[in-house]
Amino acid sequence: MTATTAQAGNDRTGQTIMGINKREEGKKINSNINVTPMVDVMLVLLIIFMVITPMIGDKVHVDLPVAAAALSMENANKEDAVTVAVTRDGRTYLGQDRVNTGDLGAKVAARLENKTDKEVFLRADQRANYGKVMDAVDQIRTAGVSQLGLLTEKREQ
Amino acid sequence: MGMGGGNHGGTMSEINVTPMIDVLLVLLIIFMVIVPVVPKGLSTLIPQPPKNPDEAQPNDRTIVVQVLANGAGEPSYKINEDSFAKSAIEPKLAEIFATRQEKVMFVKGDASLDFQKVAEVIDFGHQADVDNIGLITPQVEAGH
Repeated sequence: MTATTAQAGNDRTGQTIMGINKREEGKKINSNINVTPMVDVMLVLLIIFMVITPMIGDKVHVDLPVAAAALSMENANKEDAVTVAVTRDGRTYLGQDRVNTGDLGAKVAARLENKTDKEVFLRADQRANYGKVMDAVDQIRTAGVSQLGLLTEKREQ
Repeated sequence: MGMGGGNHGGTMSEINVTPMIDVLLVLLIIFMVIVPVVPKGLSTLIPQPPKNPDEAQPNDRTIVVQVLANGAGEPSYKINEDSFAKSAIEPKLAEIFATRQEKVMFVKGDASLDFQKVAEVIDFGHQADVDNIGLITPQVEAGH
């Protein structure tokens, strides 16, 4: 009787090569969820967002105009770049801070005080009112800036 | 159930490359996200007021492209005093500046326009190889 049960067990587990035939068929199924892949994915997402957040967070959201002749402006991504943004509703930002158009010139001048290259980058929304853009340009001009980089999207040809 | 294994008696000697591929794919994704963020732009100049206003000499070779608002319709364009269609601006500018040493032009837009319309003209200028494009603002015009 015992011999036949052992035989049946061997049949069910298939070939036993190294003589490991003491598997218990009634052993409890492991019912824990394997969380390791989930933790992996979560850590990866965490790292991705840690990398991306500082790059996106320091910019005012504007819809840049599209230009075919746009050149890459490496300096605009530097930490100390002076960037003025004009949004669609006509608000003016210096870096991330909202400024009144009237104060912009003095604030830009303060930021450029210790710099040799007086270059300012303007991120204006493509549907921003050009009058507001010109007001911002006028203010930047009073800070003694003559080089102005208009940031755009590059149109793919 | 798969618990009845144990068939592989010997040590497994292949390196498990799956985690390595995982890590490499993640790095690939990270770099794909980072690379397109190089800013692009059009360089322009803002004319500064002359140090001595009396020395400012009028230059009849100056090229000014004007963008005139037409209410809600498409704007009209002028190079100096002549009207041009939008598609004709770039060839005309290229023709004007082909024989010139100093590649300077000015762009003047009406205040009621969208910025995109003016940015297009600046773009035309750069396509026509004009290196120095000045923006004429109300303060510049007033000579301050």
